[in-house]
Amino acid sequence: MELTVTGTNAITSPFLHAWDWRVALYLFLGGMAAGLAVMSSILRLKNAGKSAEGESASFWGPLWVPIILSFGMLFIFWDLDRKLNVYWLYLTFKPFSPMSWGSWGLLLFFPVCALNALVTMPGEYRHWLRFDVLRTLVDRLQPHKRLLAILNFVFGIFVGLYTGVLLSAFVARPFWHSALLPLLCLVSALTAGAAFMAIIAKRKAVKLFFTKVNVSIVIAELIVMVLFSIGLATSQGGAVMPSFSFILEYLLYGMAIALVAKLLLVTDERSDALPDRAVLLMQVSAAMVLAGGLMFRISLVYAGQLSHLV
Amino acid sequence: MPKYAMVIDQRRCVACMACVVSCKKENEVPPEHFRTRVLEMVEGEFPKLRMELRSELCNHCDNPPCVANCPTGASYKREEDGLVLLKKYRCVGCKACLAACPYDARYINPDKGFADKCTFCEHRIKEGKEPACVATCIGKSRIFGDMDDAKSPVRVALQGAHAEVLLKHAGTQPRVYYIKKFSKPE
Repeated sequence: MELTVTGTNAITSPFLHAWDWRVALYLFLGGMAAGLAVMSSILRLKNAGKSAEGESASFWGPLWVPIILSFGMLFIFWDLDRKLNVYWLYLTFKPFSPMSWGSWGLLLFFPVCALNALVTMPGEYRHWLRFDVLRTLVDRLQPHKRLLAILNFVFGIFVGLYTGVLLSAFVARPFWHSALLPLLCLVSALTAGAAFMAIIAKRKAVKLFFTKVNVSIVIAELIVMVLFSIGLATSQGGAVMPSFSFILEYLLYGMAIALVAKLLLVTDERSDALPDRAVLLMQVSAAMVLAGGLMFRISLVYAGQLSHLV
Repeated sequence: MPKYAMVIDQRRCVACMACVVSCKKENEVPPEHFRTRVLEMVEGEFPKLRMELRSELCNHCDNPPCVANCPTGASYKREEDGLVLLKKYRCVGCKACLAACPYDARYINPDKGFADKCTFCEHRIKEGKEPACVATCIGKSRIFGDMDDAKSPVRVALQGAHAEVLLKHAGTQPRVYYIKKFSKPE
C-alpha cells in the first residue's frame, strides 16, 4: 500500500516519540530507588535487625533511596513541557490516571524514605544533622524504626509496580498494554535494588546475600520476560518485535548469573571468608545487572512508542 | 443537550486539503503542526488500483483515553455537548494524552507547551456556525451536527448508510463516523 498523509505532526508520525531518554531514566532511577527501598528494608528487618548490625549498607542503602529518587524526579520534571503548572498534579486526583497515582505516591514515598534514612543514621554521622528540629525528630522516630522500614518496603513495591502501570495503561500502545508489564518492571526494580545493595555492602556475607537474592530475582525476571514476549508475539504488540528484542538485556543478565554461579554454591551466609576474586565477581555481576536494567527501561520506552493499534 | 458528532463521507472527498488549511487558519495552528490530516491510501497493482481518501481528526470519544490518563484534569469531556476539550491553564505537558490517544490526534504546541487538538471549533459552534473544516469542505464530505436531533445533517447522512468508526475495538466510542461504501447496510 502506498500512503500519503497531508497534515502529520512530527511528534506522532510516523511513530509516537513523545517521551525520550529522560522518561527512560526516570523509570530506571525510580525503579532502582524502589528496589533499593525494598532491599534495604529487608536487610533491616531480616533476623530482627541482626543482619544490619555493623553493615554500613544498612545506612547508606536507605540514604541513597531519596537521593536516587530525587534525580529520577528531576528527569521527569525536565521532560514536562509546562513546568510551572506542575502544582496542578497535587490539586487533582484522577483515579484512572496512573500518572496521578504516581505523583501522589511519590509525594508520600519521598518523606517516608527520607525519614527512614534519617532513623537508620549511625551515631558517628549524627553531626550531619545541622538543625535541632531534625535531631529531635530522629530521636522521636527511633521507636518506630521497624514501622518505617515496613512502610519503606510497601512503598518500594508500590513504586516498582507503578513504573510499569504507567506504561501498561495505554491501550493505544500494544507493546506496553500488557498486564505483565507492571510485574516485569517490579522485578527489574528489585534486581536493580539488590544489585545496588550488593555493590555498596561492606561485609562479604551481606554482599553474598544480596547477590543470591539478585540471582533469584533475575531468573524470575527472565521468566516474566519470556512470558511478556510470548504475549507480544501473539498480540498487536508483536508488530515491533522484528526491530526490537531484549537480547542485550538477556546477554547481560545471563553473563551476570554465569559470573556468580559458583558463588551460589556457598551456603554459609555468615561467612566473611570469601576470596577477593569472588567479591570482584559479585561487584561486576551487580554492575551488569544495573546496566541490563537501564537497557531494559530505555528499550521499553522507545519500543512502546513504535507500536500502534491497528 | 446537543450531542455533537461528525460524519466523514469518504465517497465525496477529493483530497483538496481545504479542511487542513481552513483548520490551520481558523485555529492559528503553529507551522508544521496540524489538528486534522488527510490520508491518501493506494492499494493493489496497476491497473487494478484502489484509492481511499480519509480525513482524520480528534474523535471526541465518549470513552476518551486521553481524559482518563490526564493526571491534572486538563483534558476533559464537556458534559453539555460531549466535546473533548483542554483546560490549557491546567496542562502540565506530560504527554500522557499523546501516548493514550489511539488516533494520534494530539500534538504539543511548540510555543505554549500544552497538548493541543481539534475542538470541533467549539468557538464557532457557540456562534451557531459549523466547524471551519466542515464549512469549507467543497465536496460536502465533512458533515457536522447533533446526533440527538433526528433532522440534523449527521443523522440524515448516517441514515441507511454503512457507517464505521476508526479502531472500534479500542473501546473509545468515537463520535466521528466514516461512510465509504455506496451500498445500503443489509
